[in-house]
Amino acid sequence: MKPEDTEEIPSSLFDRMRKTLAPSGIPTDRRGRMRMVVDTLILHIHPTKVNSRTLRFTYTWGLGGLSALLTVILVSTGVLLEMNYTPSPPDAYLDIINLTTNVWFGSLVRNLHHWSGNLLIVAAVLHLLRVFFTGGHRPPRELNWMLGVAMLLLVLGANFTGYLLPWDELAYWAITVGTSIISYVPLVGEWLNRLLLGGPEVGAATLLNFYALHISIIPVTVVLLMSYHFWRIRKDGGLTIPKKPGEELPKKMESVTTIPYLVRPELMFAIAWLAIMFFWAMLVPAPLEGIANPLVSPNPAKAPWYFMGLQELLLHFHPVIGAVLIPGLALTSLFLLPFYDVEIKTVGVYFRSQRGRYLAIISAGLSLLISPIWVLLDEYVIHWTMWLPSWPTWISNGLVPLSILLLGIFVLTGWIAKLSRASLEERVLVIFVYLFTALVVLTVIGIFFRGPGMELFWPWMMPGH
Amino acid sequence: MNSRKFELMIGILGTVLLAVGILIYSANEPARLITAQASQLRTDLDEAMTIYAENCSVCHGLAGEGIGSNPALDNRGLAGTDSRTLHKIISRGLYGTSMPAWNVTDGGPLSDYQIGSIGKLIQFGNWHETGDRVVNLGLAPKIPFATDPDPEILAGLADLPDGDRLVLGVNVYAQKCVACHGADGLGTHLAPALNDQTLREKAFDELDRTLRYGVPGTLMAGWENAITVEELNAVLTLINRWDEVAEGAIPEPEAPVPVTVESLELGANLYAANCARCHAAEGQGTPRAPSLNVKGYLEETNDAVLQQIISLGVPETAMPAWGDKMTEAEIQAIVGFIRSWEPTAPAVAEPVRGGGGPWWQTEEPSETTRGKGRQGKGGGPPNNENAPQDLQEDPKVEPTVIEQESAPAVVFEQDHDGNSGGPPEWAGGGNQADQDGHTGNELPAWARDESSQNWWEILDGRAWGLLLGVAFLSIFLVIGAIFGLSRLPKPGV
Repeated sequence: MKPEDTEEIPSSLFDRMRKTLAPSGIPTDRRGRMRMVVDTLILHIHPTKVNSRTLRFTYTWGLGGLSALLTVILVSTGVLLEMNYTPSPPDAYLDIINLTTNVWFGSLVRNLHHWSGNLLIVAAVLHLLRVFFTGGHRPPRELNWMLGVAMLLLVLGANFTGYLLPWDELAYWAITVGTSIISYVPLVGEWLNRLLLGGPEVGAATLLNFYALHISIIPVTVVLLMSYHFWRIRKDGGLTIPKKPGEELPKKMESVTTIPYLVRPELMFAIAWLAIMFFWAMLVPAPLEGIANPLVSPNPAKAPWYFMGLQELLLHFHPVIGAVLIPGLALTSLFLLPFYDVEIKTVGVYFRSQRGRYLAIISAGLSLLISPIWVLLDEYVIHWTMWLPSWPTWISNGLVPLSILLLGIFVLTGWIAKLSRASLEERVLVIFVYLFTALVVLTVIGIFFRGPGMELFWPWMMPGH
Repeated sequence: MNSRKFELMIGILGTVLLAVGILIYSANEPARLITAQASQLRTDLDEAMTIYAENCSVCHGLAGEGIGSNPALDNRGLAGTDSRTLHKIISRGLYGTSMPAWNVTDGGPLSDYQIGSIGKLIQFGNWHETGDRVVNLGLAPKIPFATDPDPEILAGLADLPDGDRLVLGVNVYAQKCVACHGADGLGTHLAPALNDQTLREKAFDELDRTLRYGVPGTLMAGWENAITVEELNAVLTLINRWDEVAEGAIPEPEAPVPVTVESLELGANLYAANCARCHAAEGQGTPRAPSLNVKGYLEETNDAVLQQIISLGVPETAMPAWGDKMTEAEIQAIVGFIRSWEPTAPAVAEPVRGGGGPWWQTEEPSETTRGKGRQGKGGGPPNNENAPQDLQEDPKVEPTVIEQESAPAVVFEQDHDGNSGGPPEWAGGGNQADQDGHTGNELPAWARDESSQNWWEILDGRAWGLLLGVAFLSIFLVIGAIFGLSRLPKPGV
């Protein structure tokens, strides 16, 4: 039944306009609602009806939707910012000053862009955690998991490249520190660093490189991958279906129409977050320091906050281990997670089982206790290079502590798993939670506890504050 | 409340808040822009004053009042000039005057941004404040611009063949050139040495041209219109025959900081009370602050710079600004005291170890000297690879502690009892801190010497709270979860 069969052209001008915008209003019958989803461009990414269990907010927390919303905010504010920006060293900073002092709503748009970008990292990481904890990475969703991890990396890349664009003191030195981590890659590190910076140090060429990456290459890739990600959700049979531990899913499950049961909460969630982001942006200005001065480096020079975990690792390990081996191993295991963690029976159960929940808490608690102690020990007690002076430092201060740590983690988690007779998937969960908590601890220490000379200080005793 | 109502409520609330918020923000936007512009102007002017002090004050005077033939900047007419014109003049200089080009694109030292802020200083600046800044930075121009040549040497020169011309050259140099080219033509940071063999070997024409027309893109002005041909030739003669002029013929326009016996004593006391805890008793330096008692440093750093560092501090480092806590005379006394080390300063300093750093380092001196190979951005003090062996052989490495415990409190009281009837307010805090630990100290917490404390004494309430909080939280989580785990039915394997 096509619309033109039943409807005629309304007589009043207003009704004609209304009809073009919303041809038949929002239908009230089930069939009409399903039809509308198919017929609407935007809603078309949704199926016509969804499993009513997957609508539970406390299952998904709307994190994927939040990430998508933030991406939309970022693209729209980014385009506006682009109109007031010149990617060349002195002008870039002057343009930001001009934007915040002379352009109407310039400050608001910049703040929105800044905070949305930072929140996107948090939202994307939480989304990753949610998917992992409910087993959403397992077959048949392996590819979508890998797409997600790739997008997380791109989001980090977008944030990092955007960090340089204001060309202030903070940006300049954070990027200098951040990119110097790359040069620790063996053999090709220096070359990669030069390629990215367009020269031996952060300068005009770097700004142009980062600008191009930030406004075209990365966002275009992200939007393409996002579309692919959404499409894969549909192809993989929608979201994972939440269930209680040990519960068998019934053969027949209740499904409801997308309009309004999915669209309405989505819209409300989006409005609520839009309001939060606007208020945040109105009240908290994005940081802007003095113009970049390559001659005066701040002490301490820190990378952007999301790389502080990595910078903290570098303080404890030989660069090749801390900057290349450990992150490389971690990323590889993250990418390949769906190929060794494949138990599909517990998909949809938070933390696999009731035992998994307790094990996750134990693991997080232990990591919360052990990671800071290890940082303190390594800072003040352990001196591998002094104890093993004749060994090359990449072994004495790299492989040796790394193997001890890895061994410790596997023995500890294996012991926990053995005591509680955990299955393989629960063991993977324990290790994942342990390592993720350690990353959070390292990041927090890096951000808040490192002062001049990257020495440890209490945050409230930080020199210069 | 069902979920539909809840969602609609959230949505309506969000929409209303969003609308109201954006309305209020929009209404406030013009005011916000004005505030932002004003605060940006303040920031720019602040930077411009420093740039003025470092680059412009030497010719345009302490507070833009002009020196000699160099024009004043502090006048209404100039303030009314549009910023484009000002930017152009400062960037490219003015041909036929001693105003050089300042823009980096024209061979000068300043960026567009800095030149823009200088333009704002001329338009909106407060010249009183600028004058204060120039003085505080120790960059007050040498007024008079000129100096008086040594009359005895001058008389000797007159006896040489063609001596009159040489004398005239010395006089002109002492009047016009000494401010930039320095005493006896030895050069300053502003301009190169003229008393130089390679210069003497240069062709007369080349020197003549330089003197007449100046060097574009530098501070060297064209002097053709400013002095007579006779004077010009006399200066050329002087440059050619400088080896015949005795040393000391043309002194510095300004004498260095005066040093007397009293000022040295005052400086020593003030140093012991305020500087020694970080820079060590004899300026050897500690892990917290660099060595001062080093030949290279003292030779390269003049009194004005030392005074500037002490009074303004060094931003982003542990060096605080002492300018608001001491008088200028007191700071000059410290400068004089530091200067008195110069003849005996070692070529390489040996910083005193021990003292600073986090609490657990302070217990054992040997702990602080470990040479930890850190590969990150941080890095400890330099040459920490060699340090441990030297210091572990010497068990008595911690002299700063003893020095500080006794010296400052006593000496300081004596000094000020005579003058002002008691130590000033800021000194009271410092002395008190020496006696009862770390309360009310002027210094930042980490810069204090905590060697005498046990590690637990430095943990304040917040530190205990954080440590115990994290420990309790994690232990609580673990024990709680283990308890929960034990109540689960055993897995049916």
